[in-house]
Amino acid sequence: MSNRILIIARDEWRYWQRSRLSLAVIVIALSLVAASVWITRTSNSDTAHQREHMQSEAEHNFRDQPDRHPHRMIHYGHYVFRGLPPLGTLDPGIDALTGNTVFLEGHRQNSATLADKKQSSGLTWISALTPAFVMQVIAPMLLIILGFSTVTREREAGTLEFLNVQGVSPLTLLAGKGLALFSAALVISTPLLVGVLISMTDGAAILPAITFIASYWIYLLIWSAIVLPISAFTRSNTLSFSGSLTLWMLLCLIIPRIASNTASVVIHSPGKLETDFAVLQQLREIGDGHNTSGPANSALKASLLAKYNVESVDELPVNFKGIVAQQSEANLTKVLNQFAQKQMQQQTDQADIYRHFGWLSPMIAIQNASMTLAATDLTNYHLFLRQAEKARFDFVQALNKLHAEGMTLEQDSNKYRSNAAKKAATVSADNWQMLSQFSFTPLESGARLHNSMMALAQLIMLFGALISTLLFLGKRL
Amino acid sequence: MSWADIRREVLFLIRRKSVVALLVIATLLSVFAVWTGSVEVAQQRATIERLIEADKLDRSAVSKQYNDYGYIAYYTFHLTYAPPSPLAFAALGVRDVYPWKHRIRMLALEGQIHESDTQNPELALAGKIDFTFVVAVFAPLLLLLLLHDLRASERAAGRYAFLMVTRKHRYNLWPLRTGIMVALLWLALVLPFIVGAVVNGVSAGLTLLVAVVVAAYLLGWAALCYWISRVNATAPVLASCILGVWLLTSFIIPSAGNVFIKDYYHGPQGGAVLMTQREAVNAAWDLPHETTMTAFLKNHPEWTGKTETSSLFEWKWYYAFQQVGDEKALPLAQAYQQTAQDRYQAAGWVALLSPATLLQRQLTRWAETDATAAWQYNDRVRAFHAELRHFYYPLLFGNADYDEAALKKRPEFDLDKKADR
Repeated sequence: MSNRILIIARDEWRYWQRSRLSLAVIVIALSLVAASVWITRTSNSDTAHQREHMQSEAEHNFRDQPDRHPHRMIHYGHYVFRGLPPLGTLDPGIDALTGNTVFLEGHRQNSATLADKKQSSGLTWISALTPAFVMQVIAPMLLIILGFSTVTREREAGTLEFLNVQGVSPLTLLAGKGLALFSAALVISTPLLVGVLISMTDGAAILPAITFIASYWIYLLIWSAIVLPISAFTRSNTLSFSGSLTLWMLLCLIIPRIASNTASVVIHSPGKLETDFAVLQQLREIGDGHNTSGPANSALKASLLAKYNVESVDELPVNFKGIVAQQSEANLTKVLNQFAQKQMQQQTDQADIYRHFGWLSPMIAIQNASMTLAATDLTNYHLFLRQAEKARFDFVQALNKLHAEGMTLEQDSNKYRSNAAKKAATVSADNWQMLSQFSFTPLESGARLHNSMMALAQLIMLFGALISTLLFLGKRL
Repeated sequence: MSWADIRREVLFLIRRKSVVALLVIATLLSVFAVWTGSVEVAQQRATIERLIEADKLDRSAVSKQYNDYGYIAYYTFHLTYAPPSPLAFAALGVRDVYPWKHRIRMLALEGQIHESDTQNPELALAGKIDFTFVVAVFAPLLLLLLLHDLRASERAAGRYAFLMVTRKHRYNLWPLRTGIMVALLWLALVLPFIVGAVVNGVSAGLTLLVAVVVAAYLLGWAALCYWISRVNATAPVLASCILGVWLLTSFIIPSAGNVFIKDYYHGPQGGAVLMTQREAVNAAWDLPHETTMTAFLKNHPEWTGKTETSSLFEWKWYYAFQQVGDEKALPLAQAYQQTAQDRYQAAGWVALLSPATLLQRQLTRWAETDATAAWQYNDRVRAFHAELRHFYYPLLFGNADYDEAALKKRPEFDLDKKADR
């Protein structure tokens, strides 16, 4: 039995070797995958290098600033850049579409700026030639060309009857043909496997890496299991080909875009700009950290006076302006984070609608599994924004603390009186060393696996459904 | 060729289930694309409406809160925006990547203009169906399915020789059949578009132009299918060849072109622009005021003699160093922009080898949703920022007393004023 399956599979390979079309398809597919792995890898390591370089430059610049008033450093600000995770070289995900740097400063949460796509030629409007795209969209198409005639060919030539008479059961035949098709798919995916292995030497965690390649294999299995029954149950090569190709158009090109349109029409996500107005409205109620006499600060003033048991702010052992700055930054950040959280939630809700279309289209499922495992999905982008915000808050508050403790209120208030007074209202440059190094840490592998569960379930469900259909119908070939 | 011939062929074609099915798919896709495109564009317009309202409220609140030109300039943001054109519904273009709205204030512009307030990146990655995509990417595939076995199917059915013998004229059969098929597909795609164009207020001329270009594009692909279908091979082999051409011209050539262009045109990193500007702006705090003012006067000689400062902090000095910071970063910013433009321009040559890209570039150009339109908007924002500065300079450098009425003359962002390019 299993021997027969192998013979049938080997025979199919022999046919491919003889047929110019099939041979060409295998060669083209293999070189496309290889080229995409190589190209994406080179360009990504360039990008990663530049971002690392700019990150360390930004940190050096900050630490090299002279003696200053701490509040000046809050407005001098800091830049953080998002690094690319190792598997990002195989699936850059949304990297090119999102800003890759955030300017951190006091009283503001800036958006990520400088998306790579804005410097692009515009030629990749359908998609860039990344390994992910080649494997997700182009490989299935090539599998169709390779496999549309596996059974119909035998039928048209009349050899199907012959095989039947010789005692080759339909399921054996299908298993053999399926094995041939999937082994061809495996051959096509070898450059991707090599890419994954290289990423592992670059530090990709083992479990997500293995799941990454495994999910692509399941995806290819799904396509083998789509092409095969269409070939088995259509009358002619032509029908089999047109049928598979129509299905490919639907699953790989149409449904993903319908899903994307649907998600954005169903859930309206106001952009950052629009949210900013709502934020501003709330912030006005909180009061401005630059304005110590604002009504919002009177309670703070009263409690401080009581705490230190003094009559006026001038007698406080700390600089009241610094305390106000600290307090108002904390209040303001709370509001900013509330709104940021809401916006991220809206984007996630949109993405979820999109992701649920994965029950229909294996292409959406693999895309999600792949991005999630590679840590280049929306969740990881949001994580970057959160980490950047934490870095912002930490350094701003550290500076506000210096502001409160490093000078008196009198020194601070008189800083524009004269150059000497200005000098008095500064702290030593040694303090700038408090800036911690920033490097984006994507979700750890356990969380990534957990997040990819739905997509993996979709893939397995689709595969299971196809196999049971095949087993059910296969008896009646 | 007579009406009878045409009628016969039309009836023959629409009796075939697969043809009808594909035409229905084409119509549905086109309707969906036009519909969601229109919704998208309407959402963008509504967003702008809301922003304009919120912006007005915000500005009046700031004007009430402060009574000093310096503070007002510091805290007042001005909304700038580029509304979608009437045709945008059919070609959404890059508006999900390039910003089309900014809030701008008197501070150094380089720190503001690179901000992006874009839509959901995960959806942007998936891409959207718009009319352009349906025509440029799907239509060739539909044509392929409709036309690749034009002759092969007749050969397989054993009717080929018979048909060849009975035709009255050599154009009567295959060219006629192809022509009718293209016409039917064209109608299926273009009719929903025309409805959308009327609803969105696209001018008749432009609508017609788009319809004609779509027809030309379809005819081009049909010619290829027709030409390939003459080869005596089985239908799937022919279809694979057409599919190969489609894959090559729509994906591989553009992607490969992109790689070469990216390698060939190098420019400064965006991060370098931002950091240069920040260094310039921040270093100014520690420099003698004269240094900043001398640099400022180089490009603003009209304020000579009015740049004296009497205290360590003065707003005119503050805004002068913001501007000087921008001017220091300007060469880098220009080089950054130039790189983007060079790349886009070079892509125009690659597009000659990729009909789909060519069509997309043309439609997004007409719809003003391409990178060029985004840059024009950027230039408009720069021009507005300059107007704003030149409004405040007399008030700041002239040491004018605060008068709220003066703010009435403050420039408003006017989207119709096109920037020079």
